[in-house]
Amino acid sequence: MSGMSCEVDTAVKLRTMAALGGQALRSLRKTPALTSIMVVMACMAAVSIFAVFAVNLTAIGRQLQSQVQIRVFLDQNTVPDDKEALGNSIRALPGVIKVEYVSQDEALDRLKLQMGESGFFLNDLERNPLPDSFNVSLARAEDARAVAAGIWKLTGVSDVIYGQKWVDNLVGALRVLWGLTGIVACLALVGASLIVSNTIRLSVFARRKEIEIMKLVGATDGFILFPFVMEGLVIGIAGSAAATALVAAGYLGLVTWVKSVASFIPIIRDPIHMRFAVIGTVAFGAIAGLAGSAVSVRRYLKV
Amino acid sequence: MVKMYGVTRVYAGGAQALRGVNLSIDKGEFVFVVGPSGAGKSTLLSMIYRGTVPTNGQVWVAGRNVVRLRWREVPLLRRRIGIVFQDFKLLPDRSVYDNVAFALEVIEASPREIAKRVPLALDMVGLSHKAQAMPDELAGGEQQRVAIARAIVNDPFIVIADEPTGNLDPDTSMDIMNLLCDINMRGTTVIMATHNQLVVDRLRRRVVQLDEGIVVRDELRGGYCGEA
Ligand SMILES: Nc1ncnc2c1ncn2[C@@H]1O[C@H](COP(=O)(O)OP(=O)(O)OP(=O)(O)O)[C@@H](O)[C@H]1O
Ligand SMILES: [Mg+2]
Repeated sequence: MSGMSCEVDTAVKLRTMAALGGQALRSLRKTPALTSIMVVMACMAAVSIFAVFAVNLTAIGRQLQSQVQIRVFLDQNTVPDDKEALGNSIRALPGVIKVEYVSQDEALDRLKLQMGESGFFLNDLERNPLPDSFNVSLARAEDARAVAAGIWKLTGVSDVIYGQKWVDNLVGALRVLWGLTGIVACLALVGASLIVSNTIRLSVFARRKEIEIMKLVGATDGFILFPFVMEGLVIGIAGSAAATALVAAGYLGLVTWVKSVASFIPIIRDPIHMRFAVIGTVAFGAIAGLAGSAVSVRRYLKV
Repeated sequence: MVKMYGVTRVYAGGAQALRGVNLSIDKGEFVFVVGPSGAGKSTLLSMIYRGTVPTNGQVWVAGRNVVRLRWREVPLLRRRIGIVFQDFKLLPDRSVYDNVAFALEVIEASPREIAKRVPLALDMVGLSHKAQAMPDELAGGEQQRVAIARAIVNDPFIVIADEPTGNLDPDTSMDIMNLLCDINMRGTTVIMATHNQLVVDRLRRRVVQLDEGIVVRDELRGGYCGEA
């Protein structure tokens, strides 16, 4: 008996909950502001995620790039004076930050050091087969191709090598990623503004009678449009703040995870970057909200 | 108070609502604007509060050239003009009191000012006892009284009424007319467009008759149909 009444209770409760849930969903659909806050949030989250990847990969890329060097091998019969002149010419090329001379003896020592035990055969060489060389460090890896071309034109150079493919690939990939981020940002701005402007349009429509009376009794244009602009601004800020909270939480999780399993990856975690990102995203959302309400206020309020 | 010189209005569709209207209305006058439907009565009235601007000609209100008014000066003009329409234009979700107070709130009057003026306006139209009623609880004549209270709450020097009795029965119409006469008696200029032959003939005030956008009759103490 008591068991049965318990079952009934549960069924009633479930039905009530379903009804309440349905009601909530329906009121959500009737509340354009909430819907558009969620759309703005999705837009801003997409931009944030892209930006987070782009910024981090750029930082990683920059670190890898700082290790990129060009190796310049010299003609065997270059006299010391010419070597020095060549070194100076390389140093004078734009983008070059350091030029290190490596004589053939040093090169051999380094090779031995690198090979360790297995380099024993190097001790038996009659003549050092390695040429003299320069190690050239660059400010930015994307200059490697141009600098290498410049070095080729100098006299006394027998060969120039650098991790060309690799550097070019990295630079290209980062460029694409930033381009995508830009496109996503534009789409998000347009999408968020459109949804806000639609919400404001509905809002203006819902209050058209009040607006008509306000105009007739002499309310200023600023007074009439202020609440609508505020509404757009609030939607923009609320949506982007929610997006920021979501992305920031995910990112902090990622940071902790990376730190524990792959701490060599230089993921950005300093608070200044983070603060900048949060403020930037919210400002971006605010701009989208303002743009959206400005469009609707101009078109539908005709003030 | 109101002066029009050669006022012409051509609407986008090509309709010539007004054609060279000259008109002068003094302070404290009571003027009926009559004429068949489409004669241009509403257009003429809207020239005064800058609801529209003339295609040609000049409109002066209280010594200001209304056509030349800057955008930000238009609200200031409208604060000195009370406007009443056939359909009352009340906000259904606000009480009588709040509907009248609305006109002051949106021009950023102080709460003290609002608390002082609204009861005076409601008293003037005889609706003090219905201040907390909602518009849909009122009869048509009462709703129009609320609209009139809203029009006079800011002490305008002109009241413009566009067919204020259009939706009312004859008795209620006469009540509304008496109210407008009271307001006029206090020195406020009243300009009213109407199809109501009864009230025009009963009151015998100045009548301006329009036909196809032209003033065909302007008579002090006239009737709805003129001499004939
Ligand atoms: N906003 C508008 N756009 C285009 N034409 C208009 C507009 N308002 C009025 N008209 C035209 O201008 C002419 C005069 O209209 P108006 O409303 O001034 O006449 P009315 O005398 O007030 O008529 P009614 O007695 O029916 O209210 C009509 O031909 C009308 O169709
Ligand atoms: Mg009309």
